[in-house]
Amino acid sequence: MSSISIQSVSKRFPNGFEALKHIDVDIASGSFTVILGPSGAGKSTLLRMMNGLETPSTGAIVIDGERICRNKLRSIRSRVSMVFQQFNLVDRLSVMTNVLTGRLSQRSWFGSVLYLFRREDMDIAQQALQRVGLIDKAWNRADKLSGGQQQRVGIARALAQNPKVILADEPVASLDPVASGEIMTLLREICERDNITVVVNLHQVELARRFADRIIGMNDGRLVFDGTPEQLTSSALHTIYRREGTTHESVELAVAYA
Amino acid sequence: MRALNWQWPTRNGLPLPGTMISIVVAVTALGLTASVAEISLPRLIGSLGKMTVFIAQMFQGFNWDYLPQMLAKMLETLEMTVLATAIAVVISLPLGVLAAKNASPHPIVYRLTRDVLSLMRALPELVWALVFVSAVGLGPLPGVMALAFVTVGFMAKFFAESIEVVDSKAVEGVHAHGASWVQVRYFAMLPQALPDLVGTLMYILDHNLRAATILGLVGAGGIGYDMVMSMRLFQYDRLILIGLGIYVVVTLLDRLSDTLRSRLLHGKRV
Repeated sequence: MSSISIQSVSKRFPNGFEALKHIDVDIASGSFTVILGPSGAGKSTLLRMMNGLETPSTGAIVIDGERICRNKLRSIRSRVSMVFQQFNLVDRLSVMTNVLTGRLSQRSWFGSVLYLFRREDMDIAQQALQRVGLIDKAWNRADKLSGGQQQRVGIARALAQNPKVILADEPVASLDPVASGEIMTLLREICERDNITVVVNLHQVELARRFADRIIGMNDGRLVFDGTPEQLTSSALHTIYRREGTTHESVELAVAYA
Repeated sequence: MRALNWQWPTRNGLPLPGTMISIVVAVTALGLTASVAEISLPRLIGSLGKMTVFIAQMFQGFNWDYLPQMLAKMLETLEMTVLATAIAVVISLPLGVLAAKNASPHPIVYRLTRDVLSLMRALPELVWALVFVSAVGLGPLPGVMALAFVTVGFMAKFFAESIEVVDSKAVEGVHAHGASWVQVRYFAMLPQALPDLVGTLMYILDHNLRAATILGLVGAGGIGYDMVMSMRLFQYDRLILIGLGIYVVVTLLDRLSDTLRSRLLHGKRV
């Protein structure tokens, strides 16, 4: 059963730039998918569309049988959570409150204006923090944590809303190699244990090979590769990262050192 | 500048034409308007003697019998300030959200709120106090109303501006997890704008105290009435008490606001 279905989606920005050109993909429920591609290929746009942060110009995106449209955004977002490259935490709030913002979609504005949460929300947030190993930092301010820790808070926030899908937009681009590995392992473990569909944008080919079930390659708004990590040969990489002026060798060299 | 081998960091070593024109225009305008505003150096020097006499009279002594009444009036002024500012905060917070480009529900609402706010700021407290005195009669009530009215005009604008500069990434982070319109403003924008809001609040509290001291001028309560009366009756022994009283209260308020702000900025408390 497919969890996310992208149906001939195109996106043209107001300035005329065409970021996506007729993308058709189905992503299976409970799978771990990595999207690779050069900067500006449309990876982020595609991912942000799955959460309704961008709207497609043409085509449709269906999550769990429900088509994303304006008046269903809140209900879609309560099932699809997002992890960002820059973590996008509210710096001045405590780690705990940041994780609790993942519960807001389930709550009305009434308690929110007094910053009140229910007991069960607190328990869920606590469990989420336990999973990412940051329970002892719960009452620290979010901006006092290291990058890797902040990203784990981001993941805890995503977990706190009990999502069906977690989208991660270059979650390790601001982290060192060790923290990167930890974050990817955490996402992989969440995918397997909770049967959550995970879609990750990455620039690290090696991480994609290590963690993904399926790799999707994009270049210039088009789908140029779709297969398992084993099928990701050097010629496939060349297709993904090709651009004007680069030779086969230079791509290979760059990828080899990535 | 050439001779000194100095030059400005521009292509030809001269200041930018725009900057030069602005300075020339500003200096000319000042020179032209000085005579209109009756600013003349001889007159200033000529009145030095009178000023010395005035100051000397001020320091002739204190009328200690007047102290209790002064303290009572000072307390009234302080109460007016705090009350007016508190009322203004409650009204300004929602108005500030409506007047911030990134938080307003619609560009028309944004425009409209901004225009209403500038109308409220258009006249000073004293003029609004006159209006309210004729509406509700003499006493501190019209003073509080006038202060709160003008303060909303300023505070909501300042609040809006601090909301406009919050980090949009954190807003998106909360937004992406299905938070509602109100929740995004409460959990992503407000915490980030808070230090700025407190800074504004402290500045306005300070400003309102000084504004409240002159509202008595038109019979709108506070220590201003006593101040004007003792000046007219040449009761310098009272005037100096009033002056010192205002100075002490303003200074204390300033200290308090500094402490509060640094606490909030450096996160001694979350």
